[in-house]
Amino acid sequence: MVRAKPQAIDRAVALRYMGASGWQPDDASSALLDRAESRLLQTAVPRAAWKKLPRTSLPLKDCGSDLIRHLQGCEEVLVLVATLGSEVDTMLRRFELTDIAMAATADAMASVMLEQVCDDLEQELRAELKAQNLYLTGRFAPGYGDCPLTLNDEVCLAADSVRGCGVAVTAEHLLAPRKSTTAILGVADHPVTGTLAGCSTCHLRETCVFRKNGTTCFTSK
Amino acid sequence: MRIESILDRRRFVFLDGGMGTQLQKRGLKPGQKPELAALEMPEILTEIHAEYVAAGADLLLANTFGANARKLTGTGYTVAQVVEASLACAQCAAKNKDVLVGLDIGPLGELLAPAGTLSFEDAYASFAEIVRAGVQAGADFVFLETMTDLYELKAAILAAKEQSSLPVFVSMSFEGRGRTFTGCTVESYGVTAAGLGADAIGINCSLGPAEILPFAQRLCRTVPAHIPVFVKPNAGLPNPDGSYNLDADEFAREMKAYASIGVSMVGGCCGTTPEYIAKLREVFASQVPAQKIPLQRSCLCTPVRFVEVNGITVVGERINPTGKKRLQQALREGDSAYPCSQAVAQSEAGAEILDVNAGLPGIDEAATLERLVKDLQAVTDLPLQLDSSNPEALSRALRIYNGKPIVNSVNGEQKTLDAILPLCKKYGAAVVGLTLDEKGIPTSAEARFAIAERIVQAATAAGIPREDIYIDCLTLTASAQQEGAVQTLEALTRCKRELGVRTVLGVSNISFGLPCRSYLNTTFLTMAMAAGLDLAIMNPNTPEMMAAVRSYRVLTAQDKQSADYVAAYADVQIQSQQISKSTPENRKTLSATEDALFEAVRRGLKEEARTAAEAALASREPLDMVNTSLIPALDVVGDGFEKGTIFLPQLLQAATAAQAAFEAVKAKIAAQGKPTSSNKGKIVVATVKGDVHDIGKNIVRVILENYGYDVLDLGRDVPPERVVEAVRTTGAKLVGLSALMTTTVPNMKATIDALHTAKLDCKVWVGGAVLTPSYAKEIGADFFCKDAKASADLAKQILG
Repeated sequence: MVRAKPQAIDRAVALRYMGASGWQPDDASSALLDRAESRLLQTAVPRAAWKKLPRTSLPLKDCGSDLIRHLQGCEEVLVLVATLGSEVDTMLRRFELTDIAMAATADAMASVMLEQVCDDLEQELRAELKAQNLYLTGRFAPGYGDCPLTLNDEVCLAADSVRGCGVAVTAEHLLAPRKSTTAILGVADHPVTGTLAGCSTCHLRETCVFRKNGTTCFTSK
Repeated sequence: MRIESILDRRRFVFLDGGMGTQLQKRGLKPGQKPELAALEMPEILTEIHAEYVAAGADLLLANTFGANARKLTGTGYTVAQVVEASLACAQCAAKNKDVLVGLDIGPLGELLAPAGTLSFEDAYASFAEIVRAGVQAGADFVFLETMTDLYELKAAILAAKEQSSLPVFVSMSFEGRGRTFTGCTVESYGVTAAGLGADAIGINCSLGPAEILPFAQRLCRTVPAHIPVFVKPNAGLPNPDGSYNLDADEFAREMKAYASIGVSMVGGCCGTTPEYIAKLREVFASQVPAQKIPLQRSCLCTPVRFVEVNGITVVGERINPTGKKRLQQALREGDSAYPCSQAVAQSEAGAEILDVNAGLPGIDEAATLERLVKDLQAVTDLPLQLDSSNPEALSRALRIYNGKPIVNSVNGEQKTLDAILPLCKKYGAAVVGLTLDEKGIPTSAEARFAIAERIVQAATAAGIPREDIYIDCLTLTASAQQEGAVQTLEALTRCKRELGVRTVLGVSNISFGLPCRSYLNTTFLTMAMAAGLDLAIMNPNTPEMMAAVRSYRVLTAQDKQSADYVAAYADVQIQSQQISKSTPENRKTLSATEDALFEAVRRGLKEEARTAAEAALASREPLDMVNTSLIPALDVVGDGFEKGTIFLPQLLQAATAAQAAFEAVKAKIAAQGKPTSSNKGKIVVATVKGDVHDIGKNIVRVILENYGYDVLDLGRDVPPERVVEAVRTTGAKLVGLSALMTTTVPNMKATIDALHTAKLDCKVWVGGAVLTPSYAKEIGADFFCKDAKASADLAKQILG
């Protein structure tokens, strides 16, 4: 299903993705961010597919402990797949050939835009479920913490993402188009928050710049 | 009933309705694979088919939508078993009834490259396996449906056509905006499917009858008169609970509109039941399908871009190695970035079609053209003109082309016509015919026209419609054959008027050997446009020529309200050009601009950097300029980045500026005829097999090139063998591999192992989000680099 585009893309987050947290961009870089934003808003066709299912429909026993902890107290799960569409991939490939600065900027902004699309959808679903006295945890994606990327296969199948939003999984369990994401949210009949995986199982803990600076990726905004 | 009578459009033909929803209603559990219904609940499946027969369906689709090897993995069943059992259920229901049974084939569930990693050839193999099983099991026709990717559909049509002699029905699903998920338009779909020989073309799923109607109308105008068009809409739009919003009566009522637009087969998709089909039959039984009146357009396309050739159309000529040293070098080295950047530049300058030529002595033209086409379609949505007369090269390129291309060219020689026209027909391509034959190029317009006539006859006889024939009356060089220009234009006018074909000319040929070529080119182009030229093969980066094209469109009232003209030139001020002679004095003053290059790169100003480099190169040796101006500027920026005073966007803007300067350097070196662009050493980089995230690798490539290294970028999703081969042929001493995800790191290890097994004397460094120094060591890499700057430092350390 086609989703609305955000009005603007959060550039503070985009700069953080580019390793420039808190930096006040100079004029040239601001102009670059402007151009990337306008091209993305013009090109992206955000879509999403989602489904509410019994928790047992996901093979959770093979998925590490972080996701199980996240879903504690939830009888059901909501699986969600979202994408900016294949046109964005083509555009990024084109920038990579002709203007690497634009490519990196648009790439980071596309990731932010995708998160914003998911945030909007999550908010909408949260409100819908609230009306039925149901509550949602936050989003948890395969590949996060100790949860394997292989779970992408089941999430996409369960959400019927190929038909619903044009997202498929590759043989290596990556999503195509490139700017796509999956998420699992717990659904419960009482308020739940879910649990962040933290750093102990994170693949990046050895090289993480946030940790080096004494903070984390989920607290540093 | 015979399939011929189904396809003759004399009466309405009824397809069946939804299957998945019916199976769920009758006991298919969540998580149970619907593909296995024939083996796990055969009676129920047969009963559903029988109900569709009773409701009046003429054609049944077996329950084989997802019966492909990928989806059946882990079920313990083979494709052949599932296909045979599923067809048997439908055949049982059709027994002794006037009903035919089709092999139903849906998408494979994986995206083809470049969007995903599934290759066109592997997709073909998967479809071929299903088709062979369907033939074995006695299917009456093949039904390819719910497709959203034109490329996947092409693989499926070729498999169905080549592995069977059954009629092939095809159907795509569109979103409300009139495009599929991958951006394919109704028109691109219609012409491509018809060109590949589909026997019936339709639209199914995603939307209800009312929403699909305008798309079906467009499809009826696109598909040739003899090919039937069908629709299989959903039962309206989905409700929040997963049901659909139209009941059987409402569905049939909305479907009524299809009776008059030229559609001749109707059925239903998700949410429809036997009741819906029975109601459809009531509505349509007494009616006769309206004739559809297709527009006979000359057109070319990619999935997202449909180009109607109706008036002057610009074909970019820059991807042709003849006389272009820089492109020759790129083709020899297998460097795709350069031709791809040429494609993007021509597209931005206003080209509507791109000519692609890989004919270069000493290289494998067929393999190179095929690879070029694959690489180009990943970055441009312009249709391609496949420029070759080598049947093998054309055959391979036509096969993997996504859409409807044009072949350039055949000529009046019987041998060429016999070899190439059948290829154009098989793959649905348009064709250029050159007015020459074994005796050469005739001087007179009369004789060229006679050859054109012969070509048109041969093409028509081969089944190529007239609107797909383009005649090239050949531009001769004015410096050698001054009287030729007028003959060319006269022949062109006659071909257009008397043969009713489109025309094409390689415009720039006119000026070979003469100075200020754009003057002659532009004048000849203008004369040719007035004579009726359709395709102008030219350099769209020449402002004067594009100005002539845009002006012509204004003056012939094709550019309504001069909108395109105004859009192109509203902000442009024409400076009266000072035509200066190039003298040593001029060059001397320009050389003073070397500091300008340092400044432009440091500040990240792309255009300024290019201009400054071009100016400096007039008087300085390329490598000297690189070492004393470019690299010091990059070092300043790189140091700032390390210290945290310069940020990634700034670093990359400097890199982009340096890259622009480097293009000028490479052009100069190529023009000097030296084999490689620098003496600093070769580096091979690649994103490993299975991984499509290559922004990091691309940043590394640009930075390394900026430091003067000769980088061969193999792209993304690169199998280990290709890395080994590249290292062997280039003799690179340093190899960079990137992988973003945990699941592709094993392929990184496999690549390193392959390099070790091949005993190649090279060092490997790795990078990517999930890599760490210890992980790098574990998989056998020599070095780990955290970013592009570190990679450049490593290269300096290893290669100097």
